[in-house]
Amino acid sequence: MNQKKSNFETKVLAEIVVFAALSAVLYVVRPYSNPYGGSITLGSMVPVMWLSLRRGVRFGLVAGVIFGLLALPIDVILLPYSPIMNPVQAILEYPIAFGVLGLAGIFHRKTTAPAIVGVGISVLVKLFLHVIAGIIFWISTIPEGWIPIVYALVYNGSFLLPEFIISAVLMYILLKKGTLEYGL
Amino acid sequence: MSVFDGLKFRRVSSPIHLLDPRIKFFYVCSVFVSAIIFWELLPLIILFLVQIPFVLSARVQKEWVRSLRGAAFLAAFIFSTNIVFRFISAGQPTLQDVEYASAMTLRFVVLVESFSIFFLTTSPDHLGLALEKSHIPYEFCFAFTTAVRFVPVLADEAQTIMDAQKARGLELEKGNFIKRIRNYIPILIPLIISAIRRSLELAEAMESRAWGAIEKRTNLYILKMGRNDYLLIMISILILIISVYTRFHVTVPVFSSFFL
Repeated sequence: MNQKKSNFETKVLAEIVVFAALSAVLYVVRPYSNPYGGSITLGSMVPVMWLSLRRGVRFGLVAGVIFGLLALPIDVILLPYSPIMNPVQAILEYPIAFGVLGLAGIFHRKTTAPAIVGVGISVLVKLFLHVIAGIIFWISTIPEGWIPIVYALVYNGSFLLPEFIISAVLMYILLKKGTLEYGL
Repeated sequence: MSVFDGLKFRRVSSPIHLLDPRIKFFYVCSVFVSAIIFWELLPLIILFLVQIPFVLSARVQKEWVRSLRGAAFLAAFIFSTNIVFRFISAGQPTLQDVEYASAMTLRFVVLVESFSIFFLTTSPDHLGLALEKSHIPYEFCFAFTTAVRFVPVLADEAQTIMDAQKARGLELEKGNFIKRIRNYIPILIPLIISAIRRSLELAEAMESRAWGAIEKRTNLYILKMGRNDYLLIMISILILIISVYTRFHVTVPVFSSFFL
């Protein structure tokens, strides 16, 4: 039999599957949502970031991309307006912008401080991608009298800042409780 | 969370179940595009009605009705937010606003309807097969299709954990912002632990079926286009053409204008 080394260890792949799905479940619970997409959720980013801290950035990125692909139909169904302007924007704002959440494990150290910095970096990159998408693709929805880049920052910051605080607090407590080592 | 029930596959033998998943996906996309480009009530009602024969011939009415019932709450939410938005920006909502809000709600229902037709009638194996045919790495296809299947399962579990912790006296709606986040920890930790356990089970199931042991995978089923597949392509293209044509060349009548 031709033996092949798979790109993923089976256990890691199973974790990617389950944690991406868990993120998608948490993404449905949203106390606040912007009309064109972007919501404050109950820590929907946490499972993907947590996986990235546990297994490394590469797997975190894969889980993030899958989370993004699941988040797109959820947003389409739940938002009052369509979150899709065109295919390029959809790919940039869903698989890619959610994929970068996997950067949280960039330091891959199981102490709290670098992990929180990693969470911050991943949210900043996500903000950057959304702002880019905002000034390129969403220009028609920006109200008059606003500078586009400022409006994009305010719009996306309005949900990413609370999301960051929620994720950072939850992640801090999760790391303190030592869940990262469970079942390794 | 019962809106997710519409995403669980049900094995029935029907002409719809036997269709090529790629074609079904194309059909869902065309309904999707048509639903998004209209904001009037009439075309959305037509789109809603067009899909009912599919549900009936696939014999999944029961599940379909259940998923719609689950969607009812969200639909009511969408309706009321639309009305409230209008109310804030323009004062007293008129008949037109009510119609617009109901159109937005119906758009949501149409989207749920088409998604649930797709997921109720497509087995995970077929979906994976279709993705594999499009030259996406197999591991990724597998991860994606399995993740879709895991969403309803985990949603159930989250609900159970939340109920259990509430029964033990957890108060979620208390305190300031940070306090509320901390209240959420007794739900998140069991959720993550049970997710890890589930992932171990999944890994065991995969290993016991020799996941990744053989480089060249073969399949029991091979996707082949049949007569019904071509029929569905025609229907989808027809839906697309008609809706795009109507959008650009016909003024869609608005019900509320009859009363003014």
